[in-house]
Amino acid sequence: MTGPLSELPDEALGHHLASNLPRHSAPGRLRQAIGAAGRPRPVFTPWLSAGLAATATALVLLLFFLPLLPRITPADPVQRLVRAAVAEHTRTLMWGARRPDVIPAALPWLTQESGIGLLRVFSGDERLTLLDAEPVYLEQRRGIALHYRDEDGHLLTYLVLPAPGLPLPDRGRTQVDRFRPALIHDSGFSAWLWKQGDLACLLISDMISETDLGHFRDYFVRVRVATEPVPAY
Amino acid sequence: MADSDFERQAVTHLDALYNFAVYLTRNPPEAEDLVQETYARAFRFSHRFEPGTHLRAWLFQILRNTFLTFYRLRERETAVAEDGVPDWDTPMFHDAPDDSSGTMEAHTDLERALRRLPEEFRTVLLLAEVEGLPLEEVARVMTCPVGTVKSRIFRAKERLRGLLRDYETR
Repeated sequence: MTGPLSELPDEALGHHLASNLPRHSAPGRLRQAIGAAGRPRPVFTPWLSAGLAATATALVLLLFFLPLLPRITPADPVQRLVRAAVAEHTRTLMWGARRPDVIPAALPWLTQESGIGLLRVFSGDERLTLLDAEPVYLEQRRGIALHYRDEDGHLLTYLVLPAPGLPLPDRGRTQVDRFRPALIHDSGFSAWLWKQGDLACLLISDMISETDLGHFRDYFVRVRVATEPVPAY
Repeated sequence: MADSDFERQAVTHLDALYNFAVYLTRNPPEAEDLVQETYARAFRFSHRFEPGTHLRAWLFQILRNTFLTFYRLRERETAVAEDGVPDWDTPMFHDAPDDSSGTMEAHTDLERALRRLPEEFRTVLLLAEVEGLPLEEVARVMTCPVGTVKSRIFRAKERLRGLLRDYETR
């Protein structure tokens, strides 16, 4: 170089930059890292994304239509009735009664709506408190439901539905006091099922342990003795 | 172009990219991070590369865009000197060493002067003069017209001469 850099003409300054500016080579570890990143990856399967998308779509559709699919209902009419009653009890547990009217003020209206008359009704005592009464519609039958709560906080649902010709199963029949109802378990709930004439009566609760069943037996007697449902029409 | 061919060809430009990154960041550890990020993006978006075009220019373009992206992020957080040369103490990548120990020492007036140029002037000189890219490719990297590249080269050299003159008179 013959003069100061600042005097170099454009082209010479460019050449000077190219030839005198130190070049920096990539360190070995960087070379290795880039090489590793560029290694062949697993073979892409073109059908995989389409398959996953189709599966996801099917799952979404299934979830959407699931509530609309026909339910697998038990063939046994008793089991079907108990399952519907338990579902009603569960609904009450989660959402409360639809129309919490306390009898006897609402008795005429309840009778009119449910088609079930109550000549006598268990209106609660020191162990059980009557919460409300409401008409229900289960298994294509109109009926009546009364809800109680015991001192321990268990909710009990007393249901009466017209069920002429419904046979009570022999299995589960239990002698309780002077009655012989059937004790049926379904979906984690216990149900006493008995008949009074052409009416099917159920008392449902989540009491399933041995101790609780002792209380449940007692509650059945209290309700059974003090309540007398009859068809209204 | 098959992925393996693309990656093999891309790796042949590693030294040039690293050199460019060092002069952009002035910090070798940051330059390594920048180059790694560049290759990661290039491999990820290799399907966007148009075969037949200049792979090297495409890689330079990714590198510069990556640099500017992080530079802008950092620029918001750090003070920029009045002469437009940013304060480089803050690492460009979050996982880069948090001190300036890796900052490259400038050994010559030429390096010192080049380092003080604004990024757009530094880049045109590095790409056009040092790497020897055709002006069209430089324009592509910098996403500007060729005329702008020519103008920037001219102005960059003017600025470089001025800075060199300062060092020579000290």
